[in-house]
Amino acid sequence: MRGIGNVCFWLAFTAVGLVCEMLIPRIDALICGFVLLLQECNYRTLAWLLPLFVLLQEGLGTRTFGGSIVWYAVMFLFFRIGERFFNSGTFVFVFFLSAAFGAASYGLNVLMAPLQDLDVNVEQLIDSSLAQAIFLPLSWCVTKYLRLCLPAGSQPNPVKAESLHKPNV
Amino acid sequence: MSLRRILVIAGGLLIFFLGMYSWNQTTRTLDDLSTDIGLETAGAVLGPVRAAQDVLGGLWSRYVDLVAVREENEALKAQVAELETRLLANSEDLAELRRLRILLQVPVDNNWRPLGARVLCGQIGPNAVLDTITINRGYATGGRPGTPLLTNKGLIGRVLRASAHSASVLLMTDPGSRIAIYTQDSRAMGILHGNGAKSSLTVDFVPRDAGVRRGELLVTSGLDGFYPKGLPAARVISVEPSNYSEFLAITAEPLVDLQHLEEVLLFEKTGQAPEVEENTASPSQFVGPPKPGRNPRK
Repeated sequence: MRGIGNVCFWLAFTAVGLVCEMLIPRIDALICGFVLLLQECNYRTLAWLLPLFVLLQEGLGTRTFGGSIVWYAVMFLFFRIGERFFNSGTFVFVFFLSAAFGAASYGLNVLMAPLQDLDVNVEQLIDSSLAQAIFLPLSWCVTKYLRLCLPAGSQPNPVKAESLHKPNV
Repeated sequence: MSLRRILVIAGGLLIFFLGMYSWNQTTRTLDDLSTDIGLETAGAVLGPVRAAQDVLGGLWSRYVDLVAVREENEALKAQVAELETRLLANSEDLAELRRLRILLQVPVDNNWRPLGARVLCGQIGPNAVLDTITINRGYATGGRPGTPLLTNKGLIGRVLRASAHSASVLLMTDPGSRIAIYTQDSRAMGILHGNGAKSSLTVDFVPRDAGVRRGELLVTSGLDGFYPKGLPAARVISVEPSNYSEFLAITAEPLVDLQHLEEVLLFEKTGQAPEVEENTASPSQFVGPPKPGRNPRK
């Protein structure tokens, strides 16, 4: 029953994420779920949800397939590096993570554009990178709160629970 | 994990990714799969959201904004009367045009079928690098890639990618958009291309002696094979000789406000040869030479 609730939560999250992407152009509203699942060490959910996220973002976009894989790989890398220095369950961690990711999204777009022979609109890119950096902490707060409040909320992974007692730097 | 192992794994992943990217560039398998899933899901989610927005908007305009309705009604009645007068005046010209087309055997371009579509959203997701919108028609419902789109005011663009019931539309303002056009009055041919969402359009390859004027309408020539001939696309806002080539430097603006689109019209190609109406009845007065085979002396 709990598993079904978990699936329903993430499907609802995906639907709301798409609506957010409709309202705020050129941001990834689903990446907040990716961060949350990494924090929960919920790899079973990540195994089916991440391919769905990748397929959705690739299908909605106009770039050749592959950009979203690099996108999520960079976020995974930043998360792994960041959790060496911060407690990964805190807002401060997510704030720095989103700032770094906002900067990285600019670099990623510049990197991927020549592969498809596209012009880079610098002004638009800076706008979307900033929007991404601002959106992630806010959406993370809301999603985490809902995860804790709803019956299908997360149970901290026992291994991860130890890390929650690490001092916040 | 040692540094060497990390580097080996990272290198392996990079090679795998580049291999997948190159394979997909040639086969488009992953692009098609992601387009089907992504656009279909977005259409299924955003369609009801857009419908709910419309319902709420309708309630607002019906019940809250009633004050302006009476005045608007009066204005519309006056407009209808004026249009009826114009229609009456133009009906004679229209009848004449039909007769002349039949006489000259000019095929009426009726191999395009108009279909209505609703705009679901603009650029969506981090991979939306082109200037696009998403509509609620896909390849199963008339929105195949390449299908042109317009509103009652003018051209918008064409379908770029499509799933079964949703599609991405490349707007004419995108830097990658190219449309074969000619100017309505001076009949000079050129290529209209975009420069970004908030920038004006540019017309290339129009000779200096073409006599293009400011304010002139640009209509599709149909030579690119994507757009039917004669659709109004843009209006000229400046004309001057180019400093770098033997052509004119022409800038234009779209006739449609591409930032606030709600409903659009698709022109689906039916694939049928244009039909020509056969006029069996003899004309009331002599308007041209008789058709071969109808001469009683033969």
